[in-house]
Amino acid sequence: MSATRRVSEEEYLHCIRCGQCLPVCPTYRVTLNETDSPRARVALMRAVREGLLERPTDRTAAQFFRCLLCGACTFTCPSGVTVDRVLELTRGEMTDLGLLPQPLVALNQRIAESHNISAEPPESRLLWTQNLPTPPTGLGKTQAEVVYFVGCVGALFPRSYGIPQSFAQVLEGAGVEYALLGAEEWCCGYPLAINGDLETARDVMRHNLEAVRATGARTLVTTCPSCFHFWKHTYPAALGEELGFEVRHATEFLADLLEAGRVPLGENLPEQVVTYHDPCDLGRKGGIFDAPRRVLRAIPGIRLVEMPENQGGSHCCGGGGNLESMDPALSQAVAARRIRQAAETGAQVVVSACQQCERTLFNAARTERLRLRVKDIAEIVLEAMK
Amino acid sequence: MSEQVWIARLQEILGPSKVLTSIEDRIAYSYDGTFAQQLPDVAVLPESTEEVAAVIRVAAEYRVPVVPRGMASGLAAASVPFSGGIALSLTRMNRILELDEVNRTVRVEAGIITADLQSWVEARGLFYPPDPSSNKHSTIGGNIACNAGGPRCLKYGVTGDYVMGLTVVLPDGRILQTGGKAIKNVVGYDLTSLFVGSEGTLGVITEALLKLIAKPQYVRTALAEFPSLDDASRTVNAILSAGVVPATLELMDETAIACIEEAMRLGIPLDVEAMLIVETDGSDEEAVRREMETVERVCRDNGARKVTVAQNERERAQLWRARRSVSPSLARKAPNKLGEDITVPRSAIPEAIRRIKEISARYGLPIVIFGHAGDGNLHPNILFDKRDPAQWEKVEVMAGEIFGVALDLGGTLSGEHGVGTLKRPYMEQALGPVSIDVHRRIKQALDPLNIMNPGKVLPD
Repeated sequence: MSATRRVSEEEYLHCIRCGQCLPVCPTYRVTLNETDSPRARVALMRAVREGLLERPTDRTAAQFFRCLLCGACTFTCPSGVTVDRVLELTRGEMTDLGLLPQPLVALNQRIAESHNISAEPPESRLLWTQNLPTPPTGLGKTQAEVVYFVGCVGALFPRSYGIPQSFAQVLEGAGVEYALLGAEEWCCGYPLAINGDLETARDVMRHNLEAVRATGARTLVTTCPSCFHFWKHTYPAALGEELGFEVRHATEFLADLLEAGRVPLGENLPEQVVTYHDPCDLGRKGGIFDAPRRVLRAIPGIRLVEMPENQGGSHCCGGGGNLESMDPALSQAVAARRIRQAAETGAQVVVSACQQCERTLFNAARTERLRLRVKDIAEIVLEAMK
Repeated sequence: MSEQVWIARLQEILGPSKVLTSIEDRIAYSYDGTFAQQLPDVAVLPESTEEVAAVIRVAAEYRVPVVPRGMASGLAAASVPFSGGIALSLTRMNRILELDEVNRTVRVEAGIITADLQSWVEARGLFYPPDPSSNKHSTIGGNIACNAGGPRCLKYGVTGDYVMGLTVVLPDGRILQTGGKAIKNVVGYDLTSLFVGSEGTLGVITEALLKLIAKPQYVRTALAEFPSLDDASRTVNAILSAGVVPATLELMDETAIACIEEAMRLGIPLDVEAMLIVETDGSDEEAVRREMETVERVCRDNGARKVTVAQNERERAQLWRARRSVSPSLARKAPNKLGEDITVPRSAIPEAIRRIKEISARYGLPIVIFGHAGDGNLHPNILFDKRDPAQWEKVEVMAGEIFGVALDLGGTLSGEHGVGTLKRPYMEQALGPVSIDVHRRIKQALDPLNIMNPGKVLPD
């Protein structure tokens, strides 16, 4: 990743406009307008490059930011075009031209100034730890084998507190020693990078890397798939060095703990039908499909059913690509479509492994008036513990 | 007269959200599944037949060209708006209006995605057989306008065989209903058939009444590997001569195989010259199994190295996903492809393949061959780089020679893609002056203002 890297001709030339990306694109399926399709976004990018569209405007840039970057198009493209990557780079070019849409300029500013997505003071990152039966053991620990990187949404959105609270309790129940970075944890940098501000992204990445290294940890674990994807795949390339520790998502960590018999499970969950929603950054981008399913299958009382669009072909929750800041109505329409797919399986509970999916799907279940509970995987594991 | 006036009229009638005028929107509606591109003046997204009729009335009043389209996956540049005007997208008209289980019909709006309709009826034990490889990214309206085919057409027939009636907005804005649920209907000309394959030149198809059949209960699918392409093409006729009517009988040559293997990593062997995908289906499990045994034997007798029968639905689905991805995956080999769609009497398939490979060798550009060999429909795809003018010049000559092969062997230009813009220059050669004259008179009678998809199908 370089601040000035432009999309190369080789990256878009092989888009032959076959149209296979249209039916898998959540924004296209919601608006049924070709303009909101991956094929059109690539055509638009190419029109800018080749002069058919001489001067890109705010309207032009908006089209690239009305995308979830979910990668369903890339997954399905038979010609091998990495559409989401092309669009990510094109967003950077738009930002360089001063065309970053206003809601996203504001998001970048918040992160640059406060180092989190919601302009909270740093100490707010610990509010989630306050109403637990006992304070998390990772609090204030300066050295540990494992660092739990909470992520902005889990740490700062009160309705998502349940995710770090559950995960911390499961870790403690399994006897894992871990450290929290607390106020020293900053935004991972992902939202900045996909909004084209790579310089600030590097600053926060550098800070986070040093903070984790200071603990001497050998493993960084996160409940957030976006932090996971960014740490694992972008940090080493963007900073030009090996991290020196392993990056794991909570689902991998939980699956191993369960299979090692370290999580004491009870028979306390009622029989229930559960469907699993693959987060884009964890599944398609992180290649982790099995771990969450291993976790769910290990829990007594759960019967797992799949939605037709699952794993690599999963349908975004609507929360990807900063779309929620850019166009909340479109984001909600995508979420509504996904939650209806979940309801059609007959499941009583939708489990995801992402605070953003959990939030968007929870809201969608409410607006669609569906009797469907939405939970994070850490929450359901905690419920199943003795 | 400025465009402003009629665009304002459209916005007044449909509301601004269904009339897209920005350059970004116009770019999105400027192409189809080919390399052709031209900006429309405006794209409109009507949501009912009445709204389509209102658009057409404005277009007629102001003499504005109208190019109807579904998902624009066409391979003949039929939905590229070369004359500007209105790109009319039917994609928001995607409702299922009525299922009649007794008469086994379904009435749908034109913009429904074909695969969505298929899975909906199959969940009810019914079956809509026509299966263009684009069925997940094309619409029923587009399928009808091109009379789309697909692998299963060998046994089940093409799209037109399942269209019992249509709602069409005529070029003057009137709404025409054709056909109905009665199986036999000989009152008047067969206007339904007139609009099937008309490629948007005679009116806008907005609704269709489609025939359904019972879903076949049992399916067996086999993949046969042939070290020799010639053996594979001879086997096609040997299977059909053995008294088996497979649901599908598909051929892929070595380049097609290499492309899908690169795209999908299925573990397909790369050291064969051709493969056949053969499927038998029906409601009698034993008969389906016996037919497949015959297919396996005939393949082996004719030089197949190996015949693998899919053991479960997952393996079968994977085979078909591979087959459906052949055409687009060719883009891995070259930035552009010209996908042709010739048909020949099936006895002539081995000869057609030999001659096409010879054209490829003579001009030094690869031609990949795959297609629905069982019904004589082949897709020779010329791979090239349009940025190189010398290559593009060759491609045009090669395409003409491929059409020459088809006509010489008693076949024709297109089996299922349609004529669009790309095959227009060859129409006279294929049909002769009398047929072209009849075509022109029909066009003139229905669309005297020449606003419906002008410059398509008919030669100048």
